[in-house]
Amino acid sequence: MSARALFLGVLVSGLGAAAVHADDARPVPNDIPDMHEEALAAGIDHKYSGPWEFFVGGGVAAFDCNGDRLPDLFLAGGTNPAELYRNESETGGGLRFEKVSMGIPDEDLSRVLGAYPLDIDDDGLMDLVVLRLGRNLILKGKPDCQFDVANSAFAFDGGKDWTTAFSATWEKGLPFPTLAVGNYVDRMAPGSPWGTCAANYLFRPHPGDKPNYEDPTALQPSYCSLSMLFTDWNQSGVASLRVTNDRQYYRGGEEQMWHVDPGKPPRLYTAAEGWRHLSIYGMGIAQADLFGNGYPVYALTSMGDTKLQQLDEESDTDRPVYDDIAYPLGVTAARPYTGDDVRPSTGWHSQFADVNNDGLLDLFISKGNVEAMPDFAADDPDNLLIGQWDKTFIEAGKPAGIALMRRGRGAALVDLNLDGMLDLVVVNREAPVSLFRNRGAKRSFGDIPLGNWLEVELLQPTLNRNAVGARISVKTGNHTMDRTVTVGGGHASGQAGFIHVGLGTAERAEIRVRWPDGEWSHSYRVFANNFVRIERGKPDAEYWLPPPPAETKPGEATQ
Amino acid sequence: MKHGSRGHGDRRQSRVTGAAICVAFFFSGQALAGDAPPWAEKAIHDHIDFTTLEGTLSADELKTLVEIGKHLFTARFTIADGLGRPMATQAIIPTQRKHPTDAPFRRTAGPDANNCQSCHNIPVLGGSGDFTANAFISEGFESFDFDTLDPQFSNERGSVSLFGAGLVELLAREMTAELRAERDHAVAAARQSGEPETVALSTKGVDFGELTVMPDGLVDFSGLEGIDSDLTVRPFSQKGVFASLRQFAINAMNAHLGIEASERFGKRWTGVDDFDGDDRPDELSPGDVSAVVAFQATLPAPGRMVPDDAGWREAAAHGEKVFADLGCAACHRPFLPLNGLTFTDPAPYDTAGTLRTGEVERPAQYDLALLDWAKALPRNDKGQILVPLFGDLKRHHIADGEVNQLGNELLAQRFVERDVFMTAELWGVGSTAPYGHRNDFTTLDGVIRAHAGEARAAREAYVAAEESDRSDLIAFLKTLVIEP
Repeated sequence: MSARALFLGVLVSGLGAAAVHADDARPVPNDIPDMHEEALAAGIDHKYSGPWEFFVGGGVAAFDCNGDRLPDLFLAGGTNPAELYRNESETGGGLRFEKVSMGIPDEDLSRVLGAYPLDIDDDGLMDLVVLRLGRNLILKGKPDCQFDVANSAFAFDGGKDWTTAFSATWEKGLPFPTLAVGNYVDRMAPGSPWGTCAANYLFRPHPGDKPNYEDPTALQPSYCSLSMLFTDWNQSGVASLRVTNDRQYYRGGEEQMWHVDPGKPPRLYTAAEGWRHLSIYGMGIAQADLFGNGYPVYALTSMGDTKLQQLDEESDTDRPVYDDIAYPLGVTAARPYTGDDVRPSTGWHSQFADVNNDGLLDLFISKGNVEAMPDFAADDPDNLLIGQWDKTFIEAGKPAGIALMRRGRGAALVDLNLDGMLDLVVVNREAPVSLFRNRGAKRSFGDIPLGNWLEVELLQPTLNRNAVGARISVKTGNHTMDRTVTVGGGHASGQAGFIHVGLGTAERAEIRVRWPDGEWSHSYRVFANNFVRIERGKPDAEYWLPPPPAETKPGEATQ
Repeated sequence: MKHGSRGHGDRRQSRVTGAAICVAFFFSGQALAGDAPPWAEKAIHDHIDFTTLEGTLSADELKTLVEIGKHLFTARFTIADGLGRPMATQAIIPTQRKHPTDAPFRRTAGPDANNCQSCHNIPVLGGSGDFTANAFISEGFESFDFDTLDPQFSNERGSVSLFGAGLVELLAREMTAELRAERDHAVAAARQSGEPETVALSTKGVDFGELTVMPDGLVDFSGLEGIDSDLTVRPFSQKGVFASLRQFAINAMNAHLGIEASERFGKRWTGVDDFDGDDRPDELSPGDVSAVVAFQATLPAPGRMVPDDAGWREAAAHGEKVFADLGCAACHRPFLPLNGLTFTDPAPYDTAGTLRTGEVERPAQYDLALLDWAKALPRNDKGQILVPLFGDLKRHHIADGEVNQLGNELLAQRFVERDVFMTAELWGVGSTAPYGHRNDFTTLDGVIRAHAGEARAAREAYVAAEESDRSDLIAFLKTLVIEP
């Protein structure tokens, strides 16, 4: 029996039904971040609203639109206009945002479900793919948070569908990224909404010196997708497309993964290849190399149990045979962990991140009833599952302060005030956006600093300048923490910018990068508690220093 | 200093009372609490609660804390105290072994001592160590279980004297603050001007090269010299890679004794309270570490001996001039100016894993000027204390292709190349033979002749000097002693 199978067997038998449960009362030995909600004080007053079509969606894109490396926030609005908030927060201080005009027609900001940032044309300015009920948009970034609608310029057909998912990858041999767009129910089809899922599409760029996305390929069959993620699930160097689908509306459907091999038409992984039938109310995908072996695990949100999919170790690594390990690891998050509502949860956005900088990944899941589904929890707080050294997770949403009874949808864990600690923004349906500042670990006398950290920015001098698809491997002692640069996943929400890694007690680290083309870099030696830029080909990593706070306290404010 | 929290109102009184009790405990051998009889084979009978140290310590309170620290420094720890680390390595971040060891001591990989004094005792407690007490320093990640003296696996090092360590740390803190302020000023200036700003980094007369800040905040560190890129002056260990006495004490307690401080090896960072698997949870409390730090921080600065022999006095006076003329003082600076003598614990520049200022409600602080030896330190006309360390707290290349005895090591340490070391402070050098980072130079003449790299010019000047000048230089260095 493999070591990992043995480990999981011991976990299941040892934990039994007692500890790993929504009512898990195990104390959390490591830090719980003190998350302080301050959206209004920060200047963000925004709600995601609308009828049935906006029961789903509600995403946020976190990215820098004005070149200061502070993550700005684009918030989907549904029937409310989508809004862009420029980040004006002081380093290490309270959060502060200012709503700005994007320079595009108001009509285009209506009926927005979500958005993902990426630099499509490699001009150094982040673009935004906006998912809408109706015509999707590619917004080409300009300086100072201004954008142009580039659908015509990039020959991108935004379609008319109810778009809920997106992912992108740079395929070998193509000059611009390949885009995957996921659509939900075809509202016009006879018998809608039951069994009438609209097609998903793959947009491959044509050769040329500017993006040209004519003639997309339909990905059929499609099953009402709510999240997609290009992912190199087997270390082959080629990303496949994982798609999570909502069984509420499909008939005869399942979870999917597509071969997207360079130069070949996309085709589904089949049962013969090892792909197991899994049918869930798929809402969000998060990936992480949880076991440090190069093979990602995937957290799939749903109604009821969250799934945690791990490659079956008994099978050949080229076969996508996945086991569910959510229960032994304590991440089923099947029902609310606080309050009186004992009905099953509804999960949406999922994201792995190290929220307490202890070197272990944690898992955030946004939660909330679809609308008024009577069989599911109405009071359903978001989860913050703190990773432990034995690979299990313990729920800490309540002590962290994020257990608001709002209907969470898209979200992002992102360092908004450049203090090395991940903050949290959650878009809520028919409720204000929640904006949580991570203030450290709470003690009787105040908040204390968390563990050490690094934030890494990659730059390639060639196409795919932000190195989407790269793997960042951070080594401290005998412990290695991996992150992969992706575009996609979550629930209608994407991020671009610094990649955060918690380091625990390590004062320094060595970083290696496997660039998207598979080439490994040498080791870069860096000190903890820094923003680091790694430019391909340069011998040393560079540090980036955020603007000093206005009032520098001796020995404290600077790093 | 007792267990448990106390109200602020009665803290002062209770702390003095507690201190008196603790003093009685340690000196009378009477057990204060618990079931252990006074002859019990353990050194730590009670742990100090850090909250009882918060705020400014009076002279008496400092004295008590130092006495407790001295007890911990000289105590012969046993497995009942948690000596030994069967399931942990010597690494400075918590690192577990795959298989337990079978013996509490291991001469090479450690633990290699049951008390601090066994290596720090020349000429007296708190001093340096002889070659017999050399330690074998390795990272403790892979190959942590080496049982060879092969330099591929470890760096063999002599123990440095701790006298004056408090002043050294205070200097380092001030220098770090000044360098970071220079950097931050350049960052702000570059952002404002829209142009790159290059700043020469210099503090207390010691130059650390330069850095260039781009208007967007990217920094070019390629011009840095002798310091880490986070601009933290790390003055401890032979290579200058540890920032504070507190950090070093926690490292050493784990590596050499297998006693693990809870602030690094405890539940918060490892999930368990017995990380080394010896059935002793939370072996060293933050308050205990503070006591050990206080003992070291208050060790007097080495001074100067005035020889009875008139000839020696004359030779030494001339030798001090030769020291400057040959260029030795470029790195072995006779004085560095210190602005203040207030020692705060925790230190301001440690990172997670060593107790940090932000992790306590109030740091402990004590004024070294309460101590007679500190009061006697010379001051300049600005009121700055002139710390007579004969060092610069900067790292230098000390070997080259032709003169390479000090480049003997094969392993880099904490990103610092194998032939780079911090300038050794020469205060007390007359009392702490043998010399060199491996304690393998029996004479000062020998270790001077081994200087190379950045010190090559001074070394050549020494070799080329008259015999009488060299002799006078030695006469001078021999007057730099640790006074009994």
